[in-house]
Order: sequence, then structure tokens, then C-alpha cells
Amino acid sequence: METLNSEPTSPLRIIDSKLQISSPLPSSMLRLWRQAAQRNLRNQWSQLAPLKDKWSSISSSARSYATALVNSHLFQRYMPNMKLGVLSDMPDIRKRACFKLFKQQELQRSQLLQSYKDMVGVVSKMVNVSRSMKCYSRGSNNSPLLQFSNYPKDQSNSGDGGGIPVFAFLSISSHEQLVEELVQMFRFELCLKRLLVLQFISIGYDASQVNKLHWSAQLYADEFKDLSDCNLFCEVTCVPVPPRLRDGKSDMGALRFDNQPNPEVLQVYLTSWLAEVNINTLRVNEIFAVVGEEMHVSIG
Amino acid sequence: MEMMVKKFQSKFNKVREEMNQWDELQSRLISQFRNASHIVDRLQVLQKSSNYGILNCVGAVSDVLLQKQIDSLNTISFSMRKTLEEFHCIVLSLEKMHRDGRQLVKGSSSRPTMKQLQQRVGVKPTLIDCLDGLSFLHEIYYSEYLLKTSIVSALSSMALIPSNASDLGALQQLLVDQPNILTEEVQSLFDTIFAEDL
Repeated sequence: METLNSEPTSPLRIIDSKLQISSPLPSSMLRLWRQAAQRNLRNQWSQLAPLKDKWSSISSSARSYATALVNSHLFQRYMPNMKLGVLSDMPDIRKRACFKLFKQQELQRSQLLQSYKDMVGVVSKMVNVSRSMKCYSRGSNNSPLLQFSNYPKDQSNSGDGGGIPVFAFLSISSHEQLVEELVQMFRFELCLKRLLVLQFISIGYDASQVNKLHWSAQLYADEFKDLSDCNLFCEVTCVPVPPRLRDGKSDMGALRFDNQPNPEVLQVYLTSWLAEVNINTLRVNEIFAVVGEEMHVSIG
Repeated sequence: MEMMVKKFQSKFNKVREEMNQWDELQSRLISQFRNASHIVDRLQVLQKSSNYGILNCVGAVSDVLLQKQIDSLNTISFSMRKTLEEFHCIVLSLEKMHRDGRQLVKGSSSRPTMKQLQQRVGVKPTLIDCLDGLSFLHEIYYSEYLLKTSIVSALSSMALIPSNASDLGALQQLLVDQPNILTEEVQSLFDTIFAEDL
């Protein structure tokens, strides 16, 4: 497992003290490496902003599905005691309304699940970007053609140009720290969203179905494979990484899903979906600004 | 005299621009107020740990959630104060137009007599119509600005003490209604000023 708790680093602390460091690579080679590394970093960073936007838009439509689901459920729950006025003369009106609400919930559940799946996809792409910051040289020393790639040919190649700044101040590892800090927020948030999705889809289930539902249930085919691409699946215990906040703990032992939560609880769930507690927007913007300035491109 | 009426009419055109600007601000303020009152509404619920259900498995989530909501509320309150400042600018501009109007009448070389002020030429408005109209517009928008200011501060104080949702709804309704702005009277005033264009 890659660690989820590396300390957040302020941009000031990241500014390399190793500016004077001499790289092990010969200077001609270093120049070429630097060009390739700059190109690579620009490409990688510029993928992150659209991914972040995509996350926000999926998350917000998922919230509408969840809200609709909650509303249909509450309607259905209150239907027996609702005063229907003149409508109550219509035969089977309550039964038919309940059936329709039930059908709606099925649809809303599947929409919510699809959104969750898309969010996993976004995070998995982010994680991929975070792993592709390095730039390895390929091709032998006597070949006139020098190639670069995101994957090492052999272990001796560190892919970071010996720790020199790629643009002005930040080395590859500083870039990696920033990207990791950013991606981690979304990973934490994805875990929390997973918990909420589980809870939302269990609303209105009958007791036997709810009892079968727990954290280790797979929400869609191949979910665990996708989660492990995001580094969110614990291979040892074979369950998804439990949700927690950056400095917090979690206790999944006590987890019991409720098929009839009261409206206040549902409101808290919806609020926490909206609030994205793990994503510090200010810091996200700050990271994009710092990196954009470093690379002389605007990426936020 | 006719020149003066023309000058007043161009002032009323400027007033109309300010009023359109006011309407834009009004819809901005309403949406900000709605967002803020949603949060205020939730704060009560978010303060009880028994409302957290399964989220109790995630340590400290209630503190962070509450804090984040309070932060958002502060951000919205700040933007509402910004919007109120812009409302205030409009009020100040209306006040200035009224003052300039008075100056226009007083400062003219042939200081008009009371009779001239009330003199009506064809369908054109009298100078008194113009002066009173500017004063009236400034007055109603000023009162409405004061009302908005107190509604916004009432919302902030509701965040601190428990209140019920219907209070919030009533405040919002008051904000939407703009009771000081008498749309029909404003319309008939403009009809008088621009009677010849009708």
C-alpha cells in the first residue's frame, strides 16, 4: 500500500535547497532530459485541472440523484399518512403512487451507482498522472537517438535528473509531492463517497437485503480492481480502504446500514456529500497556481 | 424651461439604468441569501452527533463538516455584504441625481417661480413632477436598502441562536417582495415624465 498519510507540504518548504547539486548526467544529456521532463510535466499537470472539473460535475449530478432518491423514499414512507384530499377517492391511489416511487428509486440508485463508478474512474486517472511525473531516458549512451519515457528501462535510472529543478525551483520529487497531496484529497473523498453511496442505495431496502450490505461488498463488477488502481484496496485484508479524514481514524466495526434513516440523518448525509470535507479548495487552487507559475502556464 | 425638462428626462433615463442594475443585484442577493439560509437551516441538524448515522464511523467528520459549513456561510455573508455595498452605491447615485436636480432649478439664471415650476406645457411633466419624482425614487430605494441590510444581519444572528425554518422563510419572502419599492407608483411616475413618448 502506498501511504495515505504523507504530510502536506507548503510550497515554501518544497523549494529545493539542492539548487547547486550537480547531476550525475553529463550536461548535454541533462539539457535534453530537461526538455523532455518539462514537456512531460506540462502534459501531466494539464490533465489534472480537467479531471478536477470532471470530478466536480459528476459529484454534483450524483448529489442530485441522491437527493431525488431520498425524496422518493421519504414520499413513499409518508404516503400512507398523507392527506390526499379529493384524490383519496381514486382507487388504489396510494398503492400506485408507492409503486411508482419504488420504481423511481430503482432508477435513482442505478444513476447514483453509475456516477460513483465514474468518480472512481476520475480518481484512477489522477493516480495515473501522479505516477507519471518522472522522465526516464532510454536508448544507450552510444546511440545518437535519445528517447524519454515515463517508465524506467532499468533500476539505475532515477528519472528525476538527479534532483535538479526542472523549470525554476521545483525538482521532480517536489512536483510529485504536490501532485500526491492533491490526488490524496480526492482519494480520501472517494472513500467517504463510497460509504455514502452504500448508505444511499440501502435506503428502502428490506431488512434482509440491508443485513447483507457491508463495507466489503462490491458495488459493481470489477470495482475492487478499479479501487486497487486508485490505491484504495487493501490486498492484505481484501477490503476497500476504510473512509477517514486526513488526520482522523475510522472504526468500521460498528458500521450498520440503516434502511429507514430519519430525515435529519439523511440531511446530514446529503450535506456531507456536498461539502466534500476532504477537498480543500483553497489549497487545490494554491497548488495549481504554484505549479502554473513555475511552468509559466496557467493550469488552474 | 423646455431645456430643463429635457435635462430632467435624461436624469430619469439614468435612474432607469440604476434601477435595472438594482434588479440584477436583487437576484444575486436572493440566490446568496437562499444559499446562506440553507446552511443556517442545516447548522442545527449538524450540531447533534445522533444525526450522523453511519458517518459516526469516520472520526472527527462532524467537526470538519460543521466547520466547513460555517466557513461557507462566512464566505456567503461576505459576498452578501459586497452586494449590499453595491446597493448602497445605487442609493448614493440616486441621491446625487436628486441633489443635482434641485441644483439645476435653483442654479439656473432665470430662477423659476413657483408658478413656473408648476406650469405644464402640453403633455410634458412640470418641473415639480421631476423634482418630486427624483426625491421619491431616492427615498424608496433608500428605505429598501436599509431593510435589506437589516434582513442580512438578522440572518447572521440566526446562525448563532436556534430558530425555526419559518422565520428564515419569512425573511426570504421579505427580501423577495421589496415592500418599499412600489412598482405601480414607480411606473406611473415614469409615465408622467415620459408622457410624450407614450
